[in-house]
Amino acid sequence: MTEANGKKIRRRDLLARISKAGAAIAGCGVAAYLLYDPVGPGATVEAEQLVTLPDFSVLQQPGQTIAVVQGTDRQKTVDKAIELLGGIERFVKPGDVVAIKPNVAFASPPMLGATANPDLVAEVVRLCYSRGKAKKVIVTDNPINDPASCFMLSGVSKAASEARAEVVLPKPHLFRHTTLANGKLIRNWPIFSGPFVKADKLIGIAPVKHHHRAGASMSMKNWYGLLGGRRNIFHQDINTIIAELAMMVKPTLVILDGTEVMMTNGPTGGSISDLRRADTLIASTDCVAADSYGCTLLDLKVSNLPYLTQAEKAGVGTTDYESLKPARATIS
Amino acid sequence: MSSVLAPARRLESAVSICLLGILVLVAVGVLLKQADVDMSRFGTDPVAAGVIGPKSQAMTTQGEISLTALLPPGFKKLSESEFYNAENLYEKIDGKAPLYIESGFERLLTQRFASIRDESLWAELFIYDMANLRNAFSVYSRQRRADVEILPDTRFGYRTGNGLYFVHGKYYVELVGSSQSAELSVAMSQASERIRTKLAVDKDEQITELALFPQEGLVSGSNRLYLASAFGFKDLTNIFTAAYKLGGQTLTAFIGRRPDANDAQKMAESYYRFLIENGGVAKPTADESLKSWQGRVVDFYGTTEIVLTAGPFVAGIHEADDRQAAEQLAAVLASKLSESAKAIGND
Repeated sequence: MTEANGKKIRRRDLLARISKAGAAIAGCGVAAYLLYDPVGPGATVEAEQLVTLPDFSVLQQPGQTIAVVQGTDRQKTVDKAIELLGGIERFVKPGDVVAIKPNVAFASPPMLGATANPDLVAEVVRLCYSRGKAKKVIVTDNPINDPASCFMLSGVSKAASEARAEVVLPKPHLFRHTTLANGKLIRNWPIFSGPFVKADKLIGIAPVKHHHRAGASMSMKNWYGLLGGRRNIFHQDINTIIAELAMMVKPTLVILDGTEVMMTNGPTGGSISDLRRADTLIASTDCVAADSYGCTLLDLKVSNLPYLTQAEKAGVGTTDYESLKPARATIS
Repeated sequence: MSSVLAPARRLESAVSICLLGILVLVAVGVLLKQADVDMSRFGTDPVAAGVIGPKSQAMTTQGEISLTALLPPGFKKLSESEFYNAENLYEKIDGKAPLYIESGFERLLTQRFASIRDESLWAELFIYDMANLRNAFSVYSRQRRADVEILPDTRFGYRTGNGLYFVHGKYYVELVGSSQSAELSVAMSQASERIRTKLAVDKDEQITELALFPQEGLVSGSNRLYLASAFGFKDLTNIFTAAYKLGGQTLTAFIGRRPDANDAQKMAESYYRFLIENGGVAKPTADESLKSWQGRVVDFYGTTEIVLTAGPFVAGIHEADDRQAAEQLAAVLASKLSESAKAIGND
């Protein structure tokens, strides 16, 4: 064998060159193998690190799945609604840690109805302690923008603290990734799970609101607050994400506040003229039934909110709330 | 021989060094880019998750407008001014962000201010830069509340029990009070005046379509502008609507101006087909004048839709309960539009 200049190559030189070239190729291969990321950025969570929220639901009792109470005083209507479902003792056992997830999405005053009413949140906290004998009650949500301001200006942190609840604001270590079995959108996505994984019971509290994208924001949409990351991308498929959230979260109880309903310009509102009094409070162990009733307060039908039917088809609950024989009462 | 080959070896060496240099540069570039990855795109950025603090706080100084200078006397800032763009607007207004972004939103500046005397009296100022007057009017009109007090010093503006809402050139402005308070109301009026004085805008911008609606029966302040997907049809763009109360009926008329008559006819035709393809049933019109405007009537699940053209205008009636009233209003609308088309020499 000769080089380009005609000089003969010795066997020893040839073997040396082949060895060097082979070593270089092997080195590149090893380096590439070590640097190779098989899943890509953002998807580096090992399967065993994924979190699954506990099932917080209680056994169903015929005739005590949904309660609808008319009245102007939220403290009285929620007391009555829970009583109609069997009392708080049915849902909270002595020594339980109860997580309450109100809608505190905006740094907005309580008067505008964009967030859960602070008096209502406080009353539920008191019930958990006084009759449910809870060990601890946590009030928490994950507003994207300035959580401290949202809790403070909505009045929720003050009311909850005064009722002896622990207010938990979102922190990085409270987020973990989850994947919803059979989920299309919730796949390896960060959720605000920290306060919930160690809780025994979960109660959702949400106002009835118009929602520009979803049509309505009620108890199922309230779970949107659990999503971390750039959750706005789910606005492109808002019905599916709400239905999947309802599949992912199995609450003990949801409380849907239709005392004052945000009829227009939701979910933020911004004017008291967006509100209409409906003087209705709904408590239910079936969030699909609760929201199906709630949409009537917005002059909507179940067919106007596709996520209700999607959740029903997924077995989350029923849109035919009348079939559950709602317990009804009026507080004068 | 070796003297001939020496330059070739040097060339080979130079080429090799160049290639190695390029590879090193590529490697450095990859490393730099990798170190600067935007994890929020993958849903794992704790800042984007709102758990470390909003990005907007770091961006507050990017606003050209000094919101502090707009504060009313007797009030102090309650929070730092915040800046949002189309990327992070959802952090502030969540599900309402698409309404703005689809209407040409460019940025939002906000700040809360509180009474020095009583901090429980606070308001939040939102200044949405919508790029032009039409966009600003669109978001204003689509959120306009009923039964409001008109702000006399604005072209488009009103007051509710706790807030002021108005268009100032390309800006849509909201002042939202924490309660119904006389002190807050005065303060918000003063802030509004300062905004209109200090925020320079193009005052020559006009929205000419609003004058095209017939005045008889028109519900004051009922105009809306849908920049895209009016009535759920994606091709129906730049559509103005207005509500009418005529003979006990409430009707919605619409007008859109296209570049020329051909384009208007194409849009009318595609909207008509959209209605038919989605279950609408064509109905004959009894109104002779409507026929001359190529007016087409569709029964759409018990409501009446009418679509017609006049010069460069596509117009009609949307979701009317009473067909006769709808046809009458459509004929009046077509007549007025025809006059306008002649006036602009495009009939």
